[in-house]
Amino acid sequence: MENGGLMHTLAFFLLSGITLAAAMGVVFKRNLVHSAFLLSVTFLGVAGLYMTLQAEFMAAVQALVYSGAVAVLVVIGVMLTHRQQMSRSNPPNKMLLVGALAALSVVGAIVWAILATPWKVGKGSVVTAGDIGRRFLTDFAPPFEAVALLLLAALIGAVVLFKGGKAQS
Amino acid sequence: MNFDALMLEMAVALLALLILVADLLMEPGQSRRKLGYLAIAGLTGLLLVSLGRYGMQGAFFNGLFLQDDYALFFKQTFLIGAILVCLFSLDTVDNLPHSRAEFYVLLLFAVVGMMILASANDLITLYVGIELMTFSFFILVGYVLCETKSTEAAIKYLVLASAASAVMLYGMSLLFGIAGQLSYNALAKGLTASPALIVGGVMVLSGFAFKIAAPPFHMWAPDVYEGAPIPVTALLAMGSKAAGFAAMVRIFAEVFPGTGYPWPLLLLLLSGAAMLVGNLAAIPQTNLKRMLAYSSVAQAGYLLTGMLSGGFAGVKGVLFYLMIYVFANVGAFAVLTAVSRHRNGETIGDIAGLSRKAPVLAVVMTVSLLSMAGIPPLAGFVGKFFLFSSAIDAGYLWIAVLGFVLSMVSVYYYLNVVKSMYLGAPADDRPFEIAMPVRVTAVFAMAATLAMGVYPGPLSQLAETAAKTVFK
Amino acid sequence: MIGLSHYLLVGAALFGLGLFGLLTKRNLIAVLMSIELMLNSVNINLVAFSRFSATDAAAGQVFSLFIIAVAAAEVAVGLALAYAIYRGRDTVSVDEMNWLKW
Repeated sequence: MENGGLMHTLAFFLLSGITLAAAMGVVFKRNLVHSAFLLSVTFLGVAGLYMTLQAEFMAAVQALVYSGAVAVLVVIGVMLTHRQQMSRSNPPNKMLLVGALAALSVVGAIVWAILATPWKVGKGSVVTAGDIGRRFLTDFAPPFEAVALLLLAALIGAVVLFKGGKAQS
Repeated sequence: MNFDALMLEMAVALLALLILVADLLMEPGQSRRKLGYLAIAGLTGLLLVSLGRYGMQGAFFNGLFLQDDYALFFKQTFLIGAILVCLFSLDTVDNLPHSRAEFYVLLLFAVVGMMILASANDLITLYVGIELMTFSFFILVGYVLCETKSTEAAIKYLVLASAASAVMLYGMSLLFGIAGQLSYNALAKGLTASPALIVGGVMVLSGFAFKIAAPPFHMWAPDVYEGAPIPVTALLAMGSKAAGFAAMVRIFAEVFPGTGYPWPLLLLLLSGAAMLVGNLAAIPQTNLKRMLAYSSVAQAGYLLTGMLSGGFAGVKGVLFYLMIYVFANVGAFAVLTAVSRHRNGETIGDIAGLSRKAPVLAVVMTVSLLSMAGIPPLAGFVGKFFLFSSAIDAGYLWIAVLGFVLSMVSVYYYLNVVKSMYLGAPADDRPFEIAMPVRVTAVFAMAATLAMGVYPGPLSQLAETAAKTVFK
Repeated sequence: MIGLSHYLLVGAALFGLGLFGLLTKRNLIAVLMSIELMLNSVNINLVAFSRFSATDAAAGQVFSLFIIAVAAAEVAVGLALAYAIYRGRDTVSVDEMNWLKW
């Protein structure tokens, strides 16, 4: 999508509106299943924002991994761990005021930083999937390999944690 | 691609995979002790090989991965820590209800993560190294979910570590926005004084403060230390801290000095808070794991004073202190393993009368604790001397005075434990059995603490050589 | 005209919502979801910077891909933990825990 046009502006406001509204739902909804599905909507909204940034590969990965895998995993997790009443499954704790104040002050600091900093906005560049792939296998080879180990550790870990829970019942 | 630069990391990873495969080939009911010996032998071999790698300098992968004496010194610290932890965890692992071989595998993965952190020269490698280490710890902390404490520790560590990473990442994204690149060299040139640098820098520092357990991000440490299996606690205490410092010192040496960022002030606050909170909160603790957790918060404060000077003298102190902290830590936790196995608890009452039942272990515990307190002629004294004198040379007299005073306070709660061991009456008359590996580890750790206190020359020379390579 | 700051502000709002959820949620899974929101806001920042201002644009996107990979693994481990705990005691509430014990 070309940057600067009316379409781009409209798309940005629409997508960011969807993203933020859904994110608010994730946080404020009392029903955990609703939160989980709205999380998926948030992820898709972010994928849309990546499209407006001309990062097509990122958008695809976001939709596949986050919306497709993570959100579904979360929904399954919710289903597995709640068998009774779902309607009040996601209550807030007693720290509402403290939490709100802390979050607001952090966001305030960030917004100040964003608005007060003179960002060096250049002509801008579009990254292709090819660029990303090349970087993965050259400069960023060590972290790439390390992430492979990390996924293996997560795989082993899920099994180990599961067995650890089993021993107690 | 240069494989030689990644030699140590790859070797440890291969060792982990070898253990994983060997586990599949063994009978299900068979003891996995052999795999533990394999891990120890492999790591020891690598430690010996790594001794010959001093002086090899180089930047690889387009400058994103560094090989220098500084990284090597840290990698050896991690290797030594991991070897000793493996050694005294052999019996703990034998008694685990499930997944015994995976314990060693995850421990080795954590070591790989730490090693990558020590060599990282860009934010991506840094992040992935941190996460590899943290993930392995998530699982190790929650290894035995049977107990409430352990569950609480696992959840707390998972949630708080992920949240700390998210905050740190947001800070990194701001740094990327200012500099437009991710490697430390480019960040050093590209970061200019701006509001985003202040906010981003604070967020990155918060992430590090979590890893080294410095206030106000130390809340996880007491509960996680208490709930995790003892060997994991030992590795968490020294590994997470040492790896955090490895990455932090490099960033603060290479990236921030030229940017006008007020980092000495932030470090000063962090260091003072860590020493105060750690030492004062440790006094009323009766559970020894919790006490050691607060003491480790205080140690983070001492270590931070070494970073204030921003020169190699302070970094040398940090390197030296971390190495001897490994030995003091291993000594204390090895004794605690034996006590906990005997009494099924780790309070100050459980350790009472240890001198009559296991005089050797009581001596090891005493030496380890007094070394942490910084009593001469033990190694901790030399380490603190390096740290505080570098701070004084840089003009931070008051923080050194505070550190000295609080070290005296720490002697009080350390001596409380010693008093209980020597003057308290044993809680039961059962004979005290000490497994051979635990005894070997404890005595070795004590010997190292004594030797480096009396004769610190070689290690301090090595630390100095290593520290010089960060300041090019 | 939509520029860099617009995207950054969306990211900041998302980060704030995630942080609020992290501090106020009782359910472990809800806490994990809040952390995912925070990570998404980081990714928006990185991609926006790589589009508008970065000299090394590809690095920003590579970074966010790494974050996505790690976040997915984090959710997997977190849910395994949640399920293991649930089977033991029929709740995944983190509320009984004393978070700020001294």
